[in-house]
Amino acid sequence: MTVAPKYAPSEREQKFLATVTNGKYDRNIITGLKKFYEGTVPQDMQGFYSPQELEAIKALDGTDRDLQARMPVKITRHYFEQALRSKAIQTLVKASPKETYDLDGASDPGKQMSYSPVEGLIHKYELGLIYVASTCSAHCRFCYREELIAKKDVERPDGTVAPKGLAKIGAIVAYILEHYRLVNENGGRHPTTNREYLREILMSGGDPMVLGNKNIAQWLGALAEAGIENIRIGTKELAFFPDRFDATFMAMLDAFHDAYPQVNLRMMVHFNHPDEFLLKDGDGNYTAHPQGGLEWIPATKRAVETLASRPWINIDNQSPIIAGINDDADALRILQRELKRNGVENHYFFCGRDIVGHKAFNVPIERAWHILNESQKGLSGVEAHARLSITHYKGKTEVAAVTNKPFPGVPGGENGVVIFKLLRSAADAPDRCKVTIVGRNPEAIWFSGYDDRVIMDEAELYSIYDIKPLSVLAAE
Amino acid sequence: MTYVVTENCIQCKYTDCVAECPVDCFYEGPNFLVIHPDECIDCDACVEACPADAIFNEDDLPENMQHFLGINEELAQVWPQISDQSDPLPDADKWVGVAGKLDKLIKSVPGEMQ
Repeated sequence: MTVAPKYAPSEREQKFLATVTNGKYDRNIITGLKKFYEGTVPQDMQGFYSPQELEAIKALDGTDRDLQARMPVKITRHYFEQALRSKAIQTLVKASPKETYDLDGASDPGKQMSYSPVEGLIHKYELGLIYVASTCSAHCRFCYREELIAKKDVERPDGTVAPKGLAKIGAIVAYILEHYRLVNENGGRHPTTNREYLREILMSGGDPMVLGNKNIAQWLGALAEAGIENIRIGTKELAFFPDRFDATFMAMLDAFHDAYPQVNLRMMVHFNHPDEFLLKDGDGNYTAHPQGGLEWIPATKRAVETLASRPWINIDNQSPIIAGINDDADALRILQRELKRNGVENHYFFCGRDIVGHKAFNVPIERAWHILNESQKGLSGVEAHARLSITHYKGKTEVAAVTNKPFPGVPGGENGVVIFKLLRSAADAPDRCKVTIVGRNPEAIWFSGYDDRVIMDEAELYSIYDIKPLSVLAAE
Repeated sequence: MTYVVTENCIQCKYTDCVAECPVDCFYEGPNFLVIHPDECIDCDACVEACPADAIFNEDDLPENMQHFLGINEELAQVWPQISDQSDPLPDADKWVGVAGKLDKLIKSVPGEMQ
């Protein structure tokens, strides 16, 4: 690792940073299960895990199926209160032995390290992703960044093995400026990767919203000064601790906007289920708002409204479809409807990644497509913008259609075909919108479930692994 | 849960932890630092940063350091927040690792009479 150059903020940046104050937050986080084991959690949390559940989890501690080592257990008070009235939220946040029944999976799904030119940066598309925090306020059991959150060793392309490190401002800015220089010198394209300007950076982690306002402001200022036009903040804090979006945070964003009015902020939020933001009555039903729509949890509503009231902030929701949490068309329909009504765009739904232990969480690809399709029946066009995406090594791929019309002569073809469409590909996107068609396999939870039934592979999702379409195999 | 600063910080106060803390949850006394238990987000960054190995996850707190949980909680209420790294105390290298420093802990609030 090289030493990060010392970063020197500009005068404009310093003026902005001088206005920023940190808020005070009492998330009341419980991390780990020790307090549940010992019964020292607050009185009302005592029954959150049953004695049988705790016993089963404890039996795995220290083994290769240790749940807390796979992914630290963590919950905020706010999220606990929502979990009390939601089976879906309980499944999302409670450790369960089924997570490690099957340890099959990849430690670095999507081979992200091969797209990492600087520690803490993934530069895959015209968008760069930076890891700015290695924790969240609470932890989703299905998290696909478990290697970062649980600080596991990851093998890099050069063969070295070390935990993923966080991005440092000096090193990231130096990389961006060097990238611009090379692109400029070469007439608008990077000479070796063929990428264009890096226009957009996603601050991720972990959750950037666990950081203090001053720390977030330093990133925003530095990225804006470096010429980044759009800054994304990937966060689940609206679900875990909506009071984080308080007056001190919004004052910081407003001061940032005053200093850098050309920069667009994109809050990439993460609601999996409407139970995370809607009120329920005593019978567990959502309640209608007298003026239309459904009643929201007041703190969450406040947070979304304060963000949505600023035209230079976009809010987009993305969520995986996870077994036992939101593999439910009715829940997803309400989610999409209520988010859109309140200024949150529905961006992607994802198939779960092939992380270690993914079989406990992932819904078969064809079923996920069916659930989303069902959920979008009865939605208006603008409410149904979201697509189902599965992240191939080459890039984000849409599960565009699952057909029922038989396609004879192909394994699984008696039930129809699945059409994948590559939405984005690395570098200059030469393969954008190319498709791959495979025979159906209702059990498949990853691309590999279709290895033996590739019909047409224009997008080269399979040929990059030397897997040939059936017609080619037949001719050989 | 929280992280807890323990005895080996007393008389040293290297403050490397402060530079690493993403949420500025350290509070500073004359010869010791503490972590505010409600503000700590359990990120683990301070543990490795501490040259004196004085910081522990609450769940890993050694038996003979349990009393520091209450000390951190108490002093975080009265001491001022520290956001930037500063120089260690002048004799830090002499005191690091010395056992039984608790009686050296000065609990006074800066600017107030003891």
